[in-house]
This record gives sequence, C-alpha cells and structure tokens, in this order.
Amino acid sequence: MPSVSERLVTPGRAAGGVALVAFAAVALAYPSIAPNPYLLSVGIVVLNYAVLSTSWNFVGGFTGYISLGHGALAGLGAYGTGLLVTKGGLPSFGALVVAALLVAALAVPIGYAALRVRGASFVIVSIALVLVTLLVFQSWASFTGGSRGLNVPRPFPGMLRPEHHRVFFYLFLALLAVALLVWWLIDRSRFGLGLKAIREDEDKAEALGTPTFAYKLVVFVVSAFFTGLAGGLYALWFGDLDPIFQFSILTGSYMVLMALLGGVRNLFGPLVGALVVGVALEYFKVEFGNTPLHLVATGVLLALVVLFMPDGVLPALGSLLRRLDRTTDSSIREVTAAELAAQRIGGEQHAQSRNG
Amino acid sequence: MPSGALLFQSVILGLLLGGLYALLAAGLTLYFGIMRVVMIAHSAFLILAAYLAWWSHTELGVDPLLSMVVTVPLFFAAGVLLQRLLLARLRPVTLTMMSVLLTFAIAVVIEGLLGYVFSGTQRRIQLGYGSASLELFGARIAVVKLIAFGLAAVALLSLYLVMKKTAFGWALRATIQHRDAARLVGIDTDRVAGFGFGLGLATAAIGGTALSLDTTIYPSLHWHWIGPLMAIIVVGGLGSVPGAAAAAMVLGLAQSLLQIELGTTWAQTVFYIALFLTLAVRPQGFFGGRLAQRF
Repeated sequence: MPSVSERLVTPGRAAGGVALVAFAAVALAYPSIAPNPYLLSVGIVVLNYAVLSTSWNFVGGFTGYISLGHGALAGLGAYGTGLLVTKGGLPSFGALVVAALLVAALAVPIGYAALRVRGASFVIVSIALVLVTLLVFQSWASFTGGSRGLNVPRPFPGMLRPEHHRVFFYLFLALLAVALLVWWLIDRSRFGLGLKAIREDEDKAEALGTPTFAYKLVVFVVSAFFTGLAGGLYALWFGDLDPIFQFSILTGSYMVLMALLGGVRNLFGPLVGALVVGVALEYFKVEFGNTPLHLVATGVLLALVVLFMPDGVLPALGSLLRRLDRTTDSSIREVTAAELAAQRIGGEQHAQSRNG
Repeated sequence: MPSGALLFQSVILGLLLGGLYALLAAGLTLYFGIMRVVMIAHSAFLILAAYLAWWSHTELGVDPLLSMVVTVPLFFAAGVLLQRLLLARLRPVTLTMMSVLLTFAIAVVIEGLLGYVFSGTQRRIQLGYGSASLELFGARIAVVKLIAFGLAAVALLSLYLVMKKTAFGWALRATIQHRDAARLVGIDTDRVAGFGFGLGLATAAIGGTALSLDTTIYPSLHWHWIGPLMAIIVVGGLGSVPGAAAAAMVLGLAQSLLQIELGTTWAQTVFYIALFLTLAVRPQGFFGGRLAQRF
C-alpha cells in the first residue's frame, strides 16, 4: 500500500483542481452566456473585487498585517490613471501602467512610516491614508474635479457598450490571473517563507536573520502596485470617478472581508470571498437600494467572520473534506482492531521464533 | 498676518477643542492599555451619544446635558459587555488585528443604524444659550464651547482621580502594567478589564454630549473624529494618557491656528502629517514608554 505522503493527488487537491478548471471555464465563457449587459457588468465588478482582495492578500495573507486602507491605493490608481489621461494626454493603458507605478512609488514612504512598528500603528496609518486622500481629493477641486467628479475618456471610443463590457471582463480576468500567479510564485519562494515567518512570529523571524522590515516593505509595494492597477482599470472601464466612492473606507473593508471570508492563507481564498461577497453586495443593492442598511449588513458579516471563522471558508471546507475522506493523513493512525491484533500476533510470533 | 485678537481667539478655541480631544483620546488609550486594542468604534459611540443628546432635546424637550444621566451608565454597560462578550473571545495571538476589524465592524453597524433610524440629514441642537458668547480681551468665545470644555475637563479629572486614588484604579493600572502579576496578587483581571472598557466608553458618552452642543451631526461624522484621535494617541505614544493629553492640546491648537490661513478642511491634514512624521521619525511617540515600542 502506498504511504500517504506519496499520494500526490489527495481528494482535497483534486477537488481544488476541478473547482479551478470549472471556475476558469465558466469565467471564460461568462461574457457569452451572460443574458444581458447588466449581469456582465456585475461580473466585472465582482472580478474587480477579486483582483483587489487578491492584491490586498499580498500583505494580509503573507505577513498578517491587516490594512483597512487599500481602498485609498485603488482610488489613487484610478485618479492617477484618469488624471494622466485627461491632463497628461497619455494613452489610456500607458497611463494605467504609469499610475500603478506611481502608486507603488508612493507606497514606499507610506510603508516606511507604517511598517517600522508592529500591527496597531499599521492599521492606524492605513485608515489615516483613506481619510487624508479623501480630504485632499475632495478639497483640491481645481486639479481633481473635487466632488463634481472626474470623467475618464473611454479607451475604445467607437465601441458599443456590451462589447466594451466584454473586453474589460477579459482584461480584469487577465489581471486576476497575473495577480494570482505572482502570489503563487511568492508563496513558493524563499521570500514568501520569510514573510510567513513574520506572520507567525516576527521576533523569532528577525532573530533568525530574516530582514523583516525590508520584506514587509517590498511586499507592501507589490500589493500597492496590483491594487493601483485594479483601480486604474476600473477607472478606464467605469469612466466616472467620485472621491466619495474612490476613497471610501468601505472599499478597503470589503477587501478585508472577502479575503478573510475565503481564507487569507489560500491562493484562491480572496477570489472565493469576492465571489460570495461581491454577488451578495450587488444583490443587496438591487433588492434594497441604497439604504444605510448595507452598512449594517457589511458590519454584521465582518463581525461574524472575525468571531467565528477567522481562518475562512476554504480551510473549513478542507478540514471537512479530510474528515469525510478517512484514508488521508491524520495525526492518529487509523488501523482497525483486527489489523492491530494481526500485527501484534505477527510480532509476537517473530519474537518467539527468535527467542526459540 | 491675522490680527492679534483673531490669533488670541484661535488659541483659546484651540485649547478648548484640545480638551475634548484629550478626553476622547484618554478613552482610546485606556482600551489600548488594557487589551492592546485599537478601538475604531470609539468615535462611532461618540456620535451615537451626540444623537441621543439631540434626540432627547428635540423629542423629550430636556436639556441635552441631562441625557448623560442615561447615556453614561448605558455606555458603561455597553463597554463591559463589548469587552466580556466580544473582544475576550478573540484569539490572543491575532488579538490586535482582529480586534481592529471587530471594532471597525461595530462602527459601521452603528453608522448604518444611525442612518437608518435618524436618516442621513444633518442635525443640530438649537439651544436657548446656543448663541451666547463671552468677550475676553477682544476674543469671542461661545458659551457652549466653554461648557463642552468644562465637561471634558471634569471627566478627565474624575478619570485621573479614579485611576490614581481608588482601589479599582490601582487594580486597573496593575492589569495594564502586568496582567499576570496582577492576577498573582489576587486581582480579577477579566472583571477589571471589562470595567476599564466601560470606563472608556463612558468618556465617549460625555464627549458625545459635549460635541452635540455646538456641532452639526450626521451618521458618517465619526470618520472625521477617529482619524485625528488615532493620530493623537500615536503622536503621544500608544498607551500613555499624559502623552495623549499633551498631543491632543498641541494638535488641537495647531489645527485651530492653521484654520486661519488654510480653512477648516486643509487644517485637518495637520493630524495626518503629524501621524506620518511621528511614525517615520519617532515611532514610539513623544511620551510613549515601553509599551509603545512594540506596537
């Protein structure tokens, strides 16, 4: 009988692989099967959430530092792209990349201030980032358009709306794939190992020679870059920016909620969370309109996840699968009483034959 | 260059504002000391108290200050329950991060419920003495601002006396300084921690009532308070009450003076600039002790 460790395809992995292939197939086919442009745009919004929370998970998942301010980074990416197109005259996708690079560059001083000390200060800075960017972008009306908003010209002027949605659906899907790939690569690298050591015990990691500050800063910048890209792509798709929505503390909390719900230690955790929460948010908007109750729903959901499921649904599903499948690894060897008796008798006979 | 009277008035207003900041930051510092919790919902409870004061004035017709008879014990109980039932359940390893999310969730729920019950309309208490003011060396100081400052000062002083002079205060400070040692000398630290949270939230009730006297309130106002308050506790050094009070005075004064040149919105950025500079230059804050080094 092959030992457990030699079995590369465990049921958990098989289920994960099947789910991934199924998701990819459905995602690729979605623009063709979506019955109307509205549902296609919902798909784009959900994908945007998936990219955002996967980007958030570079910091949250690897290092355990929880940022509530990634909404501001996305907003900066969006406004950066919009302003570079309208005021700088750059081509749309050139502006997108430049804006994301600028956000990444800005993340260096922010990270420098936020990451020198442990957790609590980091959260405080991340919230302050949202509040200060909202303040600046609302007040500096001559440059940003202020509360009147900013119109971003479409990258494909002649395109009809459904076709426009379709193109952006695939663009978001591609960005999601790249973000997931980079997360996966870091997860398997020495760098990722160091980051996870920070998450588990920062003092020990530092004592063992991990350059904790540099690692945290680098991964924060990577996270900011992807967040900026997602925000910028959203700006090009949606075409209309308002500081209230771009620099909302809620955007950041959605990212956290999605990643936590799915499971921050899993590659696909934020994606799963985004599918659940994103669809729920859109459904809520349709059913109940724009009442303050969506705040209550978000808050209650976040509190429930934090209190009862801080590891997320994917690990919970994984342990459920393991429990259903008795043959896989468990700390207690599962041997039937008959097998045990047979082993004992065999052993005793062996001993007797040696003694005799 | 602004005139001398205007400057003088700004200094007075800045100090009055700083007093309110100091009271609220003391509450935040208390939570942080007790459990290493950054309590995002503190300012949401502040706005809740302000709404209750406004409601009791418009619906029941009583003076908003009287609402404290109800709100202070109510908030104390809410603080005890919050600590005992919710925060104490979190895993100790990830407590700092998860408590932020939990209190954030509470803040969002409060904001949503306030918006649902009282709608998003801006509210303001119309008081008989609301427009009265004192003349002092050419500076006009509104009476309500003096009342608000007086409330904050009395509350801060009582907090100080409770912490320094009562057996409960000693137990609370012992719990903050060294929980295990406190337990060894027979202090029921869980109970004390719960009461400490109640005390912190009671300051929010007082602060909220003071705020309602001369401020227009709306459900999402708490975000405008939590930012400055968090900046204050970081600049003062996390966990240090005198540090928080000093930082509150300095930053309140700076905000008030900058308003002359820059206007209210841009003057607010002074908090965030101070926050970033403190963390970049002196992350333990300017008064913080051992505690702040690691957070």
